[in-house]
Amino acid sequence: MNFDQSASALQEIVLTLVVIAVAVAALEGFLYLVLVRWIKARLAVPLMLIAPAFVGLLLLIAYPLLWELNVSFTNMSLRRFCAPDFPTAGLLTECKGESMFVGAENYIKVFTTPVLQQAGFFQVLWQTVLWTVLNVTMHVAGGLGLALLLHRQMRGKGIYRALIVLPWAVPQIVALAVWRTELHGEFGMVNQLLGLVGVTGPSWLTDPTWNFAAMVMVNVWLGIPFMMVILLGGLQSIPGDLYEAAEIDGASSRQSFRHITLPMIAPVLTPAIILGVVWTFNNFNVPFVLNQNELETSDTLVTGLFRAAFQYNRYGFAGAYAFAIFAVLLLFVIFYVRRSGALKSVHE
Amino acid sequence: MTSGTGIPVLPAAAAGRAARTTSKTAGGRRDSFQKRLLIHGVLMIASLIAAFPVVRVLSIALRPTNALLEREFRLIPEHATLDSFGHVINGTSLPQWLFNSLIITVGTSLVGLVFAATSAYAFSRYKFPGRGIGLTALLATQLIPATMLLVPIFILAVQLDLTGTYRGLVIAYSVTSVPFSIWILKGYYDTVPIELEEAARIDGASQLGAFWRILLPLSAPALAIVFLFNFLAAWNEFVLARVLIGSTTELFTWPLGILRFQAQFQTQWGDLAAASILVSIPIVALFLYSSKWLISGVTLGGVKG
Amino acid sequence: MSVPKSIKFLPLAMVVALVLAACTSTSASPSAGEPSESAEASEPSFPTGDIAIELWTKEGDPNIDFVQQLADDYSALHPNVTFNVVNKDVELLREDMVNSALAPETQPELLWTVLDHVGPFYDAGVVQPLTGQFDESVLADAAKGAGTYGPDNDVWVDPISIGNQLMLYYNKTMVADAPADTDAMIAAAVANTAGDKYGLVYNQTEPFWLVPWLGGFGGSVFGSDGQTPTLDTPEMQSTLQFLYDLKFDSKVMPSECDYTCADDLFKTGSAGMIINGDWALGDYTTALGDDLGVTAIPMVASTGTYPAPYIGGTYWMVPSAVEGDTLTVVLDFIDFTLAADQQQAQVEVLKRLPSNDEILNSAVVTGDPNLADAADAVSKGVPQPVNLEMRCNWDAMKPQMSAVLSGTASVADAAAAMQAAADACVAAL
Repeated sequence: MNFDQSASALQEIVLTLVVIAVAVAALEGFLYLVLVRWIKARLAVPLMLIAPAFVGLLLLIAYPLLWELNVSFTNMSLRRFCAPDFPTAGLLTECKGESMFVGAENYIKVFTTPVLQQAGFFQVLWQTVLWTVLNVTMHVAGGLGLALLLHRQMRGKGIYRALIVLPWAVPQIVALAVWRTELHGEFGMVNQLLGLVGVTGPSWLTDPTWNFAAMVMVNVWLGIPFMMVILLGGLQSIPGDLYEAAEIDGASSRQSFRHITLPMIAPVLTPAIILGVVWTFNNFNVPFVLNQNELETSDTLVTGLFRAAFQYNRYGFAGAYAFAIFAVLLLFVIFYVRRSGALKSVHE
Repeated sequence: MTSGTGIPVLPAAAAGRAARTTSKTAGGRRDSFQKRLLIHGVLMIASLIAAFPVVRVLSIALRPTNALLEREFRLIPEHATLDSFGHVINGTSLPQWLFNSLIITVGTSLVGLVFAATSAYAFSRYKFPGRGIGLTALLATQLIPATMLLVPIFILAVQLDLTGTYRGLVIAYSVTSVPFSIWILKGYYDTVPIELEEAARIDGASQLGAFWRILLPLSAPALAIVFLFNFLAAWNEFVLARVLIGSTTELFTWPLGILRFQAQFQTQWGDLAAASILVSIPIVALFLYSSKWLISGVTLGGVKG
Repeated sequence: MSVPKSIKFLPLAMVVALVLAACTSTSASPSAGEPSESAEASEPSFPTGDIAIELWTKEGDPNIDFVQQLADDYSALHPNVTFNVVNKDVELLREDMVNSALAPETQPELLWTVLDHVGPFYDAGVVQPLTGQFDESVLADAAKGAGTYGPDNDVWVDPISIGNQLMLYYNKTMVADAPADTDAMIAAAVANTAGDKYGLVYNQTEPFWLVPWLGGFGGSVFGSDGQTPTLDTPEMQSTLQFLYDLKFDSKVMPSECDYTCADDLFKTGSAGMIINGDWALGDYTTALGDDLGVTAIPMVASTGTYPAPYIGGTYWMVPSAVEGDTLTVVLDFIDFTLAADQQQAQVEVLKRLPSNDEILNSAVVTGDPNLADAADAVSKGVPQPVNLEMRCNWDAMKPQMSAVLSGTASVADAAAAMQAAADACVAAL
């Protein structure tokens, strides 16, 4: 290990952190002057608290989103590789002699032309929804179950927790490569174990149904540790005297689970579910790596997007496709968030 | 039989008693012997399923040949050797990559935690116009597939001269985990009764003083989880690192570094596996030692109804 | 409610923040080095001044050490030239290079990559033509003319090594002699399939393994214009049928086998023969030693034609932003790597066929029976198409090939589906 390099890397990081701190201080100072001294806003405090995070997110996410939106109205691709002017979506940019603006054509193509070779948008959407529902249900059930088991004084708690967290800790590329090998129809460990109990294992990698099942299995393996850790933390915050009181009142364990545990962890469980749904929906690694044979029945929207758009650098089309995915998820999020009351603040 | 699926009644009953045994207010009965046996059994199976592929990675790392497939059950392969480990430690820059990853991850996790803890406090304890929209917008940032943002982030970073160095990456990492962290922390804050802070304020503490002295300590498990999550996300992160560090090899984090072992048809499985084991160690160590943070330190019996 | 005192941060000027940001530009990244004052004289003297060359290579561990060695040797001759050798695997190299069109300052000075990158790089305008810029006379015939593309028939690459061809490797303890044709090959495979051993394996998931057989049946993926996909043809159907029969009638291979599976089976002695590329030669020599035999893929018995694997190799490409003194040095370095000594070292270290004609015909190749057989296999191949439409062909063939080999699609349906997919893809380019 090179000490000069390490020292300069450390120095650069520390300096950047200092710059961030200073910039935040400057931002807060500015906001203080404007909101407190000048406008005398009553709700200056919350705004000042959330300002740094939002400014950073604006930079990192808002600009790229707007850029993608702009490009989605153009025909930018490998053969028309010019950056369209902003915000007129290439109306005024000439690429190889023609304007790049194509209006809503990409959006129409997303819904009407096959995503890959045969499967259309709605078929792949259905596959993605199925994929998400199966995964999140099992993540929550499994994570909650394990968290409940571990939420007690017992020997070996730390060891169990460290072991169960391993799927999350190991680099995904390698874990998925190992899984793909173990799912091999003849040489994989999964089928060999099944063979020991007399069951002929299916072709996990080439059969459409079993490949989908394999994808779900592996992603459940990957996702349970995360849920477990979140829920374990949530369980910690439930005061013990609630259970005591309930038992004194004669409540059964099922009742105390339904009426104490679940509501008390709901504020933590709900965001975890929402985020779990979003991340599973957009999960690229698992469906991509386990579907090396490119079975269209195993594609989700993002892998379809990747294969269809990125292999040919069809930037305009990919942009429209990405926003279609975004719209679907946004609808879900708005609906679910409102319904689950996740937006309630502690005052309500 | 897989473990942990469904919500069995037995562990729920145990949970009730368990909450009592872990709370500070009562000693509580211990679970019966059969119950403990069952619980340990289930946990052991879960651990086995979780750990098994990782053990396979270890056996690949110990193999003398550069092979991925092994048609046997052996954990420790024939002629097991530590050559792959030796090669990745001495023959490549893995230690440098690990160090780079460590300093970036620790730094940005702390910054992200600070941003999230303060913002979540605002969302949880205040009502202000745009609050609901703000929360939904935070969630919306998670909706776009990351691969879509690669090209525009690349262009933006080049224009701002943030590529080829750590500047862009530190800023990016500090910010990417924030939406998730805010949501989770807000959820935890919501479970803490606001009466505690109000009581403190009546006793003369300032608003933020109450936050600092009452809410934060009670949220220690949540803060620990958010830090762990930030750490893990930044530690394993590859996409942004690739765009923002580019070809500056001496700045590589480990996900960029181990790409050398992967080629289309000539992956060095032994080296890759050995490197994977080594990069997982800090995470596992972190989890092993995080237990004291994952338990509430302060009694919640402070406010009687 | 008044604002609590603890909110009162000291208002620091934004200017301070900006100034500090500017000051964190510490370590400069090794980007494109601009040459210092170049000599105005017209004599072709080697440029003085520091030249920094960033070289992206698809070679990973351990082959990248050879690339680094070449760079180090050159730097020893010209101390003012420094190299930064960066590994980028094939797909990453392609993406990063294409994206550099939007930010030319991120381009490297030199690329060591595969032939089918010519298409996308040409389309994105990120490489410059090398026509007439290097000495073609030292090249072997199989290497000449590679990477010719575009309306002016410019040459975009300079070959470092030739190869990438698929060949038949066999384990001499299981298969005594190289099979003369496919009938002999199948017979040997059947004889060796028993228990947990297989007679013949190959990567059943990639159409790269299909196209040689297509050539053996007289077909081609493109029509005469080199751009229109011709996948739904009797030749393609014969090819698919052949592969289907090989798997389901002769039963000489596992039901599923991708690259890693086939590779591992052969290396551990569980497969008698494997169809794999020349890149595996070094690995197999280490694994099997003298028991390794190599030959071109056997002649198709029913047509009497040898299968025509796609030939590629490794190639130098020069990004479009390189100019002036840097360009001069880059071209000089390219010539350096094509010289006899360096080419011979490449054969010895990487076990690849050189592009240098003299070395190709020299004892270092002909004296090694496996290399000699590999050279023979190359002579039977055809150049790999480099245009973007080829990618459409690959993507069209891949799922259908899998479908036929898993028995879920008939040969006729698969061919028709391939054609439809390729046509749709080309239309959308």
